[in-house]
Amino acid sequence: MDVIPSLDLLGGNVVRLLRGDFANVTTYGDPATVLDSLDVPRGSRLHIVDLEASRRGHPVETDIVRRLATRELRIQAGGGIRSLDDARTWIKAGVEKVVIGTIAADAPEILRTIVDDLGAERVIAAIDVRDGIVRVGGWERDATSSLAEVLARVEELGIGEALITDISKDGAMRGPSFALYRSLRTNLRIIASGGVAAISDVVSLGRLANVSGCVIGRALLDGRVRLAEARARAATTNAIPERVIPCLDVRDGRVVKGVNFVDLRDAGDPVECAMRYEAEGADELVILDISATDANRTTALETVRRVSESLFIPLTVGGGVRTIEDFRALLRAGADRVAINTAALRNPQLIADCAREFGVQAVVLSCDAKRTGDHFEAMVRSGKESTGVAAVAWCRRAEELGTGEILLTSVDRDGTNSGYDIELLRAVTSVVKIGVIASGGAGSVEHFRDAIEAGGARAVLAASLFHDRRLSIGDVKQFLANEGIPVR
Amino acid sequence: MKTTLIDSSVANVANIARALRTAGGELEVTSDPIVIANAAKLVLPGVGSFIAAMQWLTENGIDHAIRDAVKRGASLLGVCVGHQLLFDVSHEMGSTRGLELVRGEVHKFDGILPIPQIGWNRVAAQGPLFDGVEDGVFYFVNSYAAVNAPDEIARADYAGPFTAAVQHDRVFGVQFHPEKSSAAGLRVLRNFIAWT
Repeated sequence: MDVIPSLDLLGGNVVRLLRGDFANVTTYGDPATVLDSLDVPRGSRLHIVDLEASRRGHPVETDIVRRLATRELRIQAGGGIRSLDDARTWIKAGVEKVVIGTIAADAPEILRTIVDDLGAERVIAAIDVRDGIVRVGGWERDATSSLAEVLARVEELGIGEALITDISKDGAMRGPSFALYRSLRTNLRIIASGGVAAISDVVSLGRLANVSGCVIGRALLDGRVRLAEARARAATTNAIPERVIPCLDVRDGRVVKGVNFVDLRDAGDPVECAMRYEAEGADELVILDISATDANRTTALETVRRVSESLFIPLTVGGGVRTIEDFRALLRAGADRVAINTAALRNPQLIADCAREFGVQAVVLSCDAKRTGDHFEAMVRSGKESTGVAAVAWCRRAEELGTGEILLTSVDRDGTNSGYDIELLRAVTSVVKIGVIASGGAGSVEHFRDAIEAGGARAVLAASLFHDRRLSIGDVKQFLANEGIPVR
Repeated sequence: MKTTLIDSSVANVANIARALRTAGGELEVTSDPIVIANAAKLVLPGVGSFIAAMQWLTENGIDHAIRDAVKRGASLLGVCVGHQLLFDVSHEMGSTRGLELVRGEVHKFDGILPIPQIGWNRVAAQGPLFDGVEDGVFYFVNSYAAVNAPDEIARADYAGPFTAAVQHDRVFGVQFHPEKSSAAGLRVLRNFIAWT
C-alpha cells in the first residue's frame, strides 16, 4: 500500500482545516520547509490540496507547486479543477496527476474532456463523503449524484484511482472510516483519506482488499506518525495473526464472573474451561486471580499449576502480584507470563526488575483505566480505587521500564457487552510500540474487529461472553478472517 | 525409541517434557553428558540468552556429548534458543560460536516491529518434521533468528523473512515453541519422535 504525504495549501502556507471548516485553520508554515521536516524522499508521491482554489473554482497555488515539482516528487494536485484549462494549468506546473473532485461528481462531460485530453492515467477522482452522501464545492454542498453513481462513472472513463475522504473523519485524528471503505463496491483502486492518525491505521487500511493507498496529513505534520515508519509497516505483509484470548476470573479455585468487578457468581472449574477454550481455538489464556485474601493465593498457585498442566497454549496469570517472588512463584507454577497492576503503580521499578530477571516477554502490565473527564485514569483494587495517575502516560512509562505487553481494561465497559472503548485503545496503541490486549466490553463479533482495526489492539480478550457461550472463539476468529484480519 | 530431553534447568524444560510425553513415546530427562552422548533421539530446549545457554553446555561437557551423539547417528531437535545453539555463530551481545551443527548465523530482528516477537506466526514449511502442518501457525518468543539459513525447512515473516526451522541430516531445529503451539506444535513433536 502507498503511504502518500499530503499538504493542504492556503495563502502560500501549509495548513489544516478541522473537518473542512475554513474558520478552523492550523498553520504549519512554508511548504518547502515543511517537506524537509517530514523527510519526504525523492521519487515519493506527494498529495497537494489547493484549498483556496476549491473555493474560487480555479488553481491558485501553482507557483508553490512548480517549485515543489523541482524536487523530483510525483505530485498529485487538486482543488478547484473545474475545466480542462484548470487541469492543464496543473500539468504545466509539473504535477504527475490531477485530482478532480467537484466535476467528477457533478459534471461528467467536463471530466470526460479532461480524460480524453490528458489520458485517464493522469487523473485521480477525488470523492468527499459525509454520512454516505458525496459533497462538492469545498465540502459546502451535496452532489447531484450518489456515491455509487459517481464511482461507476469514474470507472467507466478508465480512471484507475479514486481518493475517497470521509469528511467527518478528516483531521479529527479518530481513525479512518473503515466501514466506508469496506462498503464500497468498485474495481477502482481506493486511496483512503481522512483520519489516519496512527501506524495501526496504516496497517488496518492495508488489510482492506480494495484500498491501495492512503494519504496522511495532520498526523505527519504533528509528528504522531513518521513517514518512514508508516511506509515500512505498509510494506510488510502484516499477516501476523491477531490473538483471541478468553479470560478466566478465578477466586478460591473456581471461575467466577460479575459485572464491573462486582456481583460475583460461580461459573465452573478452571481446568475444564481452559481445555474447552484451547479446543475452540483460543490463542492464549488469561487467568486473573481475584481472591480476597493472601491465604487464598496458595489456592491460586495450585489452580495455575493444574491449568498449565492441561494446556498447550501460552498462559498469562495476574492478580495480587506484589513482589518479584510472587512473580517467580507463578512462573514456576506454569505461567508463561505474569500480569502486574497495583504493585507496579506503587513501585514502577518492579516492572524493570521483573523484566531483567525473567525477560521482557514474561512481563505484562495490567492497566485498568477509567474515563475521568477528558482523560483516562489508572485504577487499582479491581477498578474501584483512583490513583490520580494518567493511564496513557502510565502505559508509555511501563513500556520504557520493560513490559512486553499491556493488558488494557476499560473499567467503564467491563461486563457491559457494549463494545471495547476504542478511544482508550487508540490513545494507548498510538503511543506505544508493544502489543496491547483489549479488554472490557466485548459483546459482538464486530466489537472484536473494531478493537483490532480501529483500536490498534494486537489481541482481544473477553470473559463472560465466551463463558456463557453467547459467542464461541471459533465464531470470532471466523468473522475476523472474513473481515481481512489475519488469525490463526 | 526413547527420547532424551536435555535438562538445562531453564524455565521451559517441564513444559517441553509434558508436551513430549503427550506427543507419545518414552521420555528421559537428563543433564548427564554420558547419557546424552549415547542417546538416540535428543531434544535441546533453551530460553534466555544464547551466551548463557552456550556457556552451560560447554561448562558441563554437554556440547561434546551432543556432537558425539550426532556423530553416532542420533537425531536431535533444538527448540527456540536450543535451535539457535545449533548454528555456527550468534550475534547476541557480541559474537558467540554455537554448536556448528547447521550452517548459518543468528541475528537480531530489525526494529520495525516490536522486539521480542511475542505471539503466533504463520510458517511455510516442508519436509518430514512438518508432515501435516506445512502451513501451520506456531507460537514464537524471540528477538533473534537465523535468516536464509542454507538448511532452512520452514520460513516465517516478521517484518522480513526469517528461518523458522532447519534440518541438516538428522539435526533439526525449530525457532518457535512447539510446547505452546497447541495441536500444530504437538504434531511437530510427534513427527520428530516418529522420524527415523
